[in-house]
This record gives sequence, C-alpha cells and structure tokens, in this order.
Amino acid sequence: MSNRNGTIWISGSILIFLITVFGCSSNTGKPDTSSVKFTQYVVRGEELYQKHCSNCHQKNGSGLGLVYPPLNTSDYMDKNFEKVLCLMKYGLKEEITVNGKNFVQPMPGVVTLTDLEVAEIATYIYNSWDHNRGIVDVTEASRVIKNCATADQ
Amino acid sequence: MIKKIVVPVVCLFISVCFLSCEKQPLPIFGQRQVVTREENGKQVNDTVYHTIAPFTFTDQDGKTITNETFKGKVYVADFFFTSCRTICPIMKTQMLRVYQEIQNDPEVLLLSHSIDPEYDTVELLHDFAARLDVKSEKWHFATGQPKEYVFDLAQKSYFATAMEDKTEPDGFIHSGAFLLIDRLGRIRGKYDGTKEDDVDRLMKDIKQLERE
Ligand code: HEC
Repeated sequence: MSNRNGTIWISGSILIFLITVFGCSSNTGKPDTSSVKFTQYVVRGEELYQKHCSNCHQKNGSGLGLVYPPLNTSDYMDKNFEKVLCLMKYGLKEEITVNGKNFVQPMPGVVTLTDLEVAEIATYIYNSWDHNRGIVDVTEASRVIKNCATADQ
Repeated sequence: MIKKIVVPVVCLFISVCFLSCEKQPLPIFGQRQVVTREENGKQVNDTVYHTIAPFTFTDQDGKTITNETFKGKVYVADFFFTSCRTICPIMKTQMLRVYQEIQNDPEVLLLSHSIDPEYDTVELLHDFAARLDVKSEKWHFATGQPKEYVFDLAQKSYFATAMEDKTEPDGFIHSGAFLLIDRLGRIRGKYDGTKEDDVDRLMKDIKQLERE
C-alpha cells in the first residue's frame, strides 16, 4: 500500500518537474528545444553521429590530438555553419584552424547522407556539448546543401 | 545469528579472491616444435616457439628499425594507415591510451605498421606522430617497405589480417588487432584494438608479462 503511494508521489513530482521545465522554455527567446520534432532530430542525429562520425571525432566530441579536430568546443563550427553541413556530405580537404590549432588531415564525406540525415546530425552536434543552436530543420539543410561547393573536395 | 553466517562467508569470499589472484601465465601463440639436442652425452628436449620473423622498416624519424630495436622489450604491434576512416581512428585512440599508460616505462614499446606505405611516407608519419604528440623512441610508426612485405609479415608472423581489397571502403581489409609480443619475440596476446575493455585487458597483461 505504502509502496503504491510512493510511486504515485514520485510520478507526480516528475510530471510537475517536466511541466515546469518545458512549460517555461517555450515562451523565452531561447531556441525551441522542447518540441517532439527537436527530440526526434537529436535522437536520430546521435545514432547517425555514432555511426558516421564518432570514430574520428569521438563520442564525446573531443577529437584526437591534432589529427581529428574537436566538435565539443569549436569556433570553426560557430563561424562556418553552412560549410559544416556541406563537409558532412562532401568531406573537407584544406588546412583549417579550430580553436587556434591547425588541422590538415583530409576528412572523407558521407555522400549517401540525405538532407534529412544531415539536418539530424547537425541538430545533434549543434545542441550537444558547448552548443545550443536549436533545431536545424530539413528545409534549411536542403537550402544549404544545394549551394555546397562540391568541387573543392 | 547473522554473524554466524556472515563471518565465514566473508572469509571464504576473501580467500577465493586471493586464490584467483594467482594468475595463469599468458599463452604462447603459434606452432611449437620439440627439438632434441645432446648435452653432456644426454638427450635434452627443447621447445621451439613461433617468433616474429626478422624485419627491417623505416620509422617516422627516417631511422631504420629492426627486430634488434625491440629485442629484450615487451611491445605492442598493430597494422593501420593514416587515411583510413573505418576502424583505424578508434585503434589509434585506444593505442594512445596504451601509450599514456606506458610512456615512462623503459621496458615497453609500441609499433604501428602502415599497410599503405606508398601514401604513408616518413614525412607523413612524422607529422601524424607529432599530431598525436608521442615520442618516436617509444612509439614507432613503420613504413619504407613494399606493401606485400607488410602483408606477409602481418599474416605469417603476427597472425593478423592485412590485404588490399578495392571493394572495401578504404581499399584494404585489415584486422583491428593489437598484438602483445614478449622479450623473446613470441606472441603472448591478441586484443581487439577497437574495444576499450579489451584494451584494458591488454594493459593488465603488459604488466603481467613484464613480471615474467
Ligand atoms: C575519418 C575521420 C573523420 C570522420 C569519420 C569524420 N570526420 Fe569530421 N573531420 C575530420 C578531419 C581530419 C577534419 C579536418 C579536415 C581538414 O582539415 O580539412 C574534420 C573536420 C570536421 C569539422 C570542422 C572542424 C571542427 O572541428 O569544427 C566538423 C564540424 C566535422 N568534421 C564534423 C564531422 C561530422 C558531423 C562527421 C560525421 C558525418 C564527421 N566529421 C566525420 C575527420 C573525420
């Protein structure tokens, strides 16, 4: 009997907690991260990230030495949003500077990624670790990908 | 009442723990042969084990490295190439963990063979090692031989798979194995270099092998 009361009590407080947390965030100027769509993007994005990216950039986004650049903290990601969407699909083969350090190892792209998958990975990496950009929606991704300079890869 | 049960159980548990600490020696891989020789008129049987065949490579500093470089040392060997995007990045992440563990231990060395020696030149490997921030005398990156030579050594000496296959995403098939070699050039352990817990086991085995 007391056990049952406890369960009700716990679920009740979790519910109140959720309502408070999510109820607040929808009215502020911050990126909308409460929607079901956002959650779906992040979950799918994380799966795709583990499959296609974490070998090099690591699960925690820390990269590896000066061989694979970090994503957890990256001024490159902050400054080159469109380029980042493109490089997932088409790779990158140029000297780049991330947080003041230079990287030269070429990154192979994953040409088979769909626009939606690029959007999902982008939503994941741009809302994990130090980033909170909000959702990167598929229409936005499609617009960017259409204009990728694929010749330089 | 409770004490009567708990105390013996705890004692038993502790003694079992102590017993299991008495570790089995690491296995010795490969074929072995028994050779009979004469000593003072008596027949003596010697067991001859599989060892790594003599090799010569150039490392990331342009220095020649051979079996002699590793003689009397425990070392960990693997096969990779810098442009590989599948398992090598994970292997290098894990090997870096091993490096950090053993970097101040003079008895242990690391040896990574490039299986794409045409692309992985001395200069490129030098840059790669510098970017991992590792010391050359501790972690050698080997190149400077035709790839067939590397494949052959991988297969016959280290029992590891390495070959070219244009249908693979990276153009090569190779195993992610880390091989633990003892002071006499014998293989004493094989680990999956893409699995963190297997690499933990390797680091324990290195310690054990050093005590042999
Ligand atoms: C084979 C290893 C490898 C894989 C797999 C890989 N990358 Fe990269 N990535 C690199 C390298 C190397 C660079 C630096 C490229 C250069 O200098 O031209 C890089 C650069 C980047 C950058 C820009 C630099 C920074 O740190 O902000 C981002 C963002 C990025 N990668 C994201 C991804 C995403 C997302 C995926 C999965 C779709 C991925 N990478 C898969 C190796 C890899």
